[in-house]
Amino acid sequence: MFGGLREKLKAARDRLGGSIEAAAAKAEPAEKAVPAGAVPATRPVPEPGPATATTAPASPSFVQKVRTLIIERELIVSEKDLDDALSELEMTLLESDVALPATDAIIGSVEKNLVGKHRKIGESVDDLVVHALKTALLDVLGSGFDLKEYIAKHDRPVKILFTGVNGTGKTTTVAKIGAYLKKEGFTVVIGAGDTYRAGAIEQIAVHAERIGIRVIQHQEGADPSAVLFDAVEYAKSHKIDVVLADTAGRFHNKANLMSQLEKIKRVMKPDLVVYVDEAVAGNDAVTRAFEFDKTIGADAVVLTKADMDSRGGAAISIAHTIGKPLMFLGVGQAYEDIMPFEPAKVVDELLDGGA
Amino acid sequence: MLDGLSTSLKDALKKLAGKTVVDRAAVDELVKDLQRALISSDVNVKLVMELSKAIRTRSLEEEPPKGMNVREHVLRIVYQELVRLVWASTEVRLEPQTILMAGLQGSGKTTTTAKLARYFQKKGMKVGVVCADTFRPGAFDQISTLCAKINVPCFGNAQEKDALKITREGLEALKEQELIIVDTQGRHALEADLIREIIDLNVLTKATHRWLVIDAALGQQASEQAKRFHEAIGIDGVIITKMDGTAKGGGAMSAVAETKSGIAFIGSGETIEDLERFDPDGFISRLLGMGDLKALVERANENLNPDDVDVNAMMKGKFTLRDMYKQLEALNKMGPLKQIMGMLPLGNMQLPEGVYDVTSTKMVRYRIIMDSMTPTELDEPSLINSSRMQRIAHGAGATPDEVRELLKYYKMMQRTLKGLKGSGGGKFNMQRLMKRFSGMQ
Ligand SMILES: Nc1nc2c(ncn2[C@@H]2O[C@H](COP(=O)(O)OP(=O)(O)O)[C@@H](O)[C@H]2O)c(=O)[nH]1
Ligand SMILES: Nc1nc2c(ncn2[C@@H]2O[C@H](COP(=O)(O)OP(=O)(O)O)[C@@H](O)[C@H]2O)c(=O)[nH]1
Ligand SMILES: [Mg+2]
Ligand SMILES: [Mg+2]
Repeated sequence: MFGGLREKLKAARDRLGGSIEAAAAKAEPAEKAVPAGAVPATRPVPEPGPATATTAPASPSFVQKVRTLIIERELIVSEKDLDDALSELEMTLLESDVALPATDAIIGSVEKNLVGKHRKIGESVDDLVVHALKTALLDVLGSGFDLKEYIAKHDRPVKILFTGVNGTGKTTTVAKIGAYLKKEGFTVVIGAGDTYRAGAIEQIAVHAERIGIRVIQHQEGADPSAVLFDAVEYAKSHKIDVVLADTAGRFHNKANLMSQLEKIKRVMKPDLVVYVDEAVAGNDAVTRAFEFDKTIGADAVVLTKADMDSRGGAAISIAHTIGKPLMFLGVGQAYEDIMPFEPAKVVDELLDGGA
Repeated sequence: MLDGLSTSLKDALKKLAGKTVVDRAAVDELVKDLQRALISSDVNVKLVMELSKAIRTRSLEEEPPKGMNVREHVLRIVYQELVRLVWASTEVRLEPQTILMAGLQGSGKTTTTAKLARYFQKKGMKVGVVCADTFRPGAFDQISTLCAKINVPCFGNAQEKDALKITREGLEALKEQELIIVDTQGRHALEADLIREIIDLNVLTKATHRWLVIDAALGQQASEQAKRFHEAIGIDGVIITKMDGTAKGGGAMSAVAETKSGIAFIGSGETIEDLERFDPDGFISRLLGMGDLKALVERANENLNPDDVDVNAMMKGKFTLRDMYKQLEALNKMGPLKQIMGMLPLGNMQLPEGVYDVTSTKMVRYRIIMDSMTPTELDEPSLINSSRMQRIAHGAGATPDEVRELLKYYKMMQRTLKGLKGSGGGKFNMQRLMKRFSGMQ
């Protein structure tokens, strides 16, 4: 995933570089240097591998050109120089499902980082742009969340409650994380807290059986708090390391369902509340993450169905809204289709190791 | 945040309100706010750009209709352009048929299958369901539990891994049923094997409908996903689920545009009864974050006052398309035609069933088609030959068949009104009645 966003960001980056360059050229009309907008004499050699071979940032001719343009004098970048490039970047982010408020924040940060900046002599335009974008994205994405480390440092059992709206992948995520933790050597029990949706108990029971994890369940229609309480008790009496509590999906605008979740939280006293949403969600991701965080709280986020999507903007939207770390990405329907989320790596990947 | 957006949209509209000449800068500002509103409702960014271009051009180039101020003029165009995208051509007939459900993982296919079974059952049809989801654990338990609640036979086998085999057996086992719904497992555009599977299922079932189930919250992915499904099996209707949340459904709307289909139903809750037919006005208002859009548009349309409906002319048998346009506008405000006709002292006169058959989405559609007719055509519908029909269809983004259908409906209405006159209905003060109805709303 993120491939699409990466390519587009690269284009935006080149574009930003272009704007600054144009400004630089304007600032020095009597330059002996290459005229603004001139194509480098030699096209960069296409890189091997799948990376798109647009203007390669490290291409000697490009760097050289930039050097000639700026080496003599310090430059102050103005808002106006960046206008076009920034609106293009804005479009790119929006098309990648970064919600409007998050997009505004990123654009704001990039702009702040570049406008009025005194550039050091010899510093390339490209470096400058990449740095501004990286700062903006890392600002928004924050740091990751290491679940293994968290469990290792806490009293057992570590109780984890999974929440989110309907159909985002909570149950599947519970099974995947169960399989992951088991492989890491922890003992796990699952609480079948979705007692509402038809077939939900069967679904988690089949998963649990396949991955060899004990599941605590009641009848359809039972009080979910009671099931999850039992799961915690079971873990305590059997010295189990981790309780994974599944719940029914619910919408944040349904007061009765949200207060049911509050009750669950009161009764089972989770150590971690994990909010699950999907990578393909659009702007509503912001609204619901905000509401869930407000009423129930969220300590970490899992983003599922990242395999459907090469953009990943929802990651940025949610992180921007609630400022909670992304813990895992779901990347398919198999148990091993789960990846710990590492923001720095993702941002580097997004920007193609350009700096 | 969204409230803020709709406020700025309203502010932008306000700036246009006092104007008598279209102001370029004000239109630009409005278009910009509109773009932001649509994008935050998840409408495909490219589609938003196309839409706003059309709205801008039309607002600046078209002459505001007489008596309409600039704001009303622009708003009307915005509304028309949006309605054009979501008009529901998806016809739901009460005939023997097979419906194939398709969509991404977790979009709501299974729940919607049960809701549809209930819907058709309530209409008096014999319905059966095949569970072709052989992948998701608990899938058969889920659908068979739901079907058992409403006494609908459900065929499936949790042990079987071959969706085609189950479906083949299911179609056979349920052949006594008039309508069969085939629930399938979730899949997405990049899963080639699964796309293959649904192609095969479509061939096997010879499905009458292939409905794409889309979560109201789906973002910019919607167009691409819909495109792949459409290429594979030819989507002929979209169902938007989870509209009881806060998502706006702009992704689903983009999927409709991509598949050139319509919105068949709306899912608005977790229970079997939470299924609604599609209402374009409500949908668009929500999309723009403007609750009173419909009211605004109604005020913006010149001929909405029931007083303006020339009942006398209608009764005299001189009933033109223009009259029908007004009538549709007025009816849209007053409620179902059947209800209104029911109030008329018609004695035992039987009206042709078809008169009632025009749904609110179709009315909207008819209005759009009529919008692309010339004044002469509206006054003299007999002028409309096949080349004019082509032009009208083109202008309205419709097919010539639809224009034909509209004309057929017009003729039927004309005949009906003549009949009314003959039966003495003309003496009745229809005008007052219409007023009463509009007052009630
Ligand atoms: N492609 C894909 N499908 C997923 C992923 N996670 C869950 N799903 C599917 O999404 C559907 C809904 O998941 P489920 O766990 O039942 O969601 P819940 O209602 O939130 O518990 C199921 O068909 C899952 O197999 C993922 O990361 N990728
Ligand atoms: N609130 C709400 N939930 C819905 C709606 N439609 C489906 N769901 C829920 O969404 C989740 C996934 O639905 P399901 O039918 O299993 O999706 P499938 O994987 O596409 O078959 C379940 O929790 C359903 O109860 C709806 O219209 N409103
Ligand atoms: Mg679940
Ligand atoms: Mg299903």
